[in-house]
Amino acid sequence: MSEIKKVKNLKEFSTSADRFEGANLLCPGCAHSIIVREVLNATNNDLILSASTGCLEVCTAVYPYTSWDASWIHIGFENGSTAVAGAETMYKALKKKGRLKQPEREPKFVSFAGDGASYDIGFQWISGCMERGHNIMHVVLDNEVYANTGGQRSSSTPIGSSATTSPAGRVSYGEKKNKKDMIAIMAAHQIPYAAQVAPNKWKDMVKKIQHGMAVDGPVFINAISPCTTEWKFDPKDTMHIADLATDSLVFPLYEIIDNHELNITYRPKNVIPVEEYLAAQGRFKHLFKDEYKYLIKEWQERVDEKWAYLNRREEARV
Amino acid sequence: MMKKGWDEFEIGAMLRTFDGKIDDIAGTLQEDRAYSENSSFVASVADWRINKPIFNKDFCIDCQFCWVYCPDISIISRDKKMIGIDMDHCKGCGICVEVCPTNPKSLLMFPEKSDEETELATWPAKNKETK
Repeated sequence: MSEIKKVKNLKEFSTSADRFEGANLLCPGCAHSIIVREVLNATNNDLILSASTGCLEVCTAVYPYTSWDASWIHIGFENGSTAVAGAETMYKALKKKGRLKQPEREPKFVSFAGDGASYDIGFQWISGCMERGHNIMHVVLDNEVYANTGGQRSSSTPIGSSATTSPAGRVSYGEKKNKKDMIAIMAAHQIPYAAQVAPNKWKDMVKKIQHGMAVDGPVFINAISPCTTEWKFDPKDTMHIADLATDSLVFPLYEIIDNHELNITYRPKNVIPVEEYLAAQGRFKHLFKDEYKYLIKEWQERVDEKWAYLNRREEARV
Repeated sequence: MMKKGWDEFEIGAMLRTFDGKIDDIAGTLQEDRAYSENSSFVASVADWRINKPIFNKDFCIDCQFCWVYCPDISIISRDKKMIGIDMDHCKGCGICVEVCPTNPKSLLMFPEKSDEETELATWPAKNKETK
């Protein structure tokens, strides 16, 4: 077991040497690279990384440049997780045979994917990785839309959001299906660790990533990634939107250990109404018209219900 | 740089981030790394900017919020101190200014053409209004 990097406070964290480089082509103010940096800086171990097709992949590996300072692979839309799982299996086999050149180094295996590549297209592959028990971590950069191809809805898109394939207008209020509860699905694979994280709570994030890298077995991390282009807000407000998401409990931060121990890791001191979160983004603009105002009430009820459910589960330890 | 065409690659070709070998990458700071011409570190996105951040170190308390929330690895922090902005990689999103907790802010956005020394000389005074 290799040593876990000590990160007591932000000053100590800031001495990390970044393994993700600038001049990538992500939009100004994109939360993807903030999440990636926080994940990579949480460990000092060597990293074997993959990225499924999506904003992160197309923007960090534009020939002739790469923005990654670690082994990194991209294959297809769906199989970023299995690519890393394959590398992990090879590592295990070589270790068993004693053919590793530096057996004392313990690389960590991380695959990054967007919500499209995790909730929809790569779902089966991730499910397979979780079921087979590879020692990998899958990080979802959840921006609730296929941002790379122009904002089509994914199964992560929440009710009322206007996406290009479910646009809001005279006859529709936009997306009609609710967001898939991916954490619960993944935890139901009996994996040792599943958690939701947000880039604005960096310490919570680092703690969860370090826990996830320390446990033996597959780990699923869902990170909210506010998208300036598709959520339609000003690039400078990325962190503000993430704050609103966590403080309004739209995106609660919690972890599930072995599918029975649920811990809520962040309880906002002042819970703000969901309306504020919706009002800050252009994709929910139409909900403030008179005919769709009832949806905001429904949003609030749904969020409250989910929060109460999480609290019940935390208490009951089931 | 000279680009190889797509059909000039051998099967299994790999782009290398560094020239030579770096043994402990997590312990090697950016200035000590020998980046190859394939790392995006050697590229620049400075022409994306409309506004640029200017750093006034007189008011900085080294809280490192700007460092952790910078999406473009453009805040340079060494030995727990914020020492400057990497203007080759900054896209001018303005997150660093938003998260800066000091009063007045030690980072502010200005139009790309503005002169750093003039702006530093006329830095806004402390804002008395409390939130």
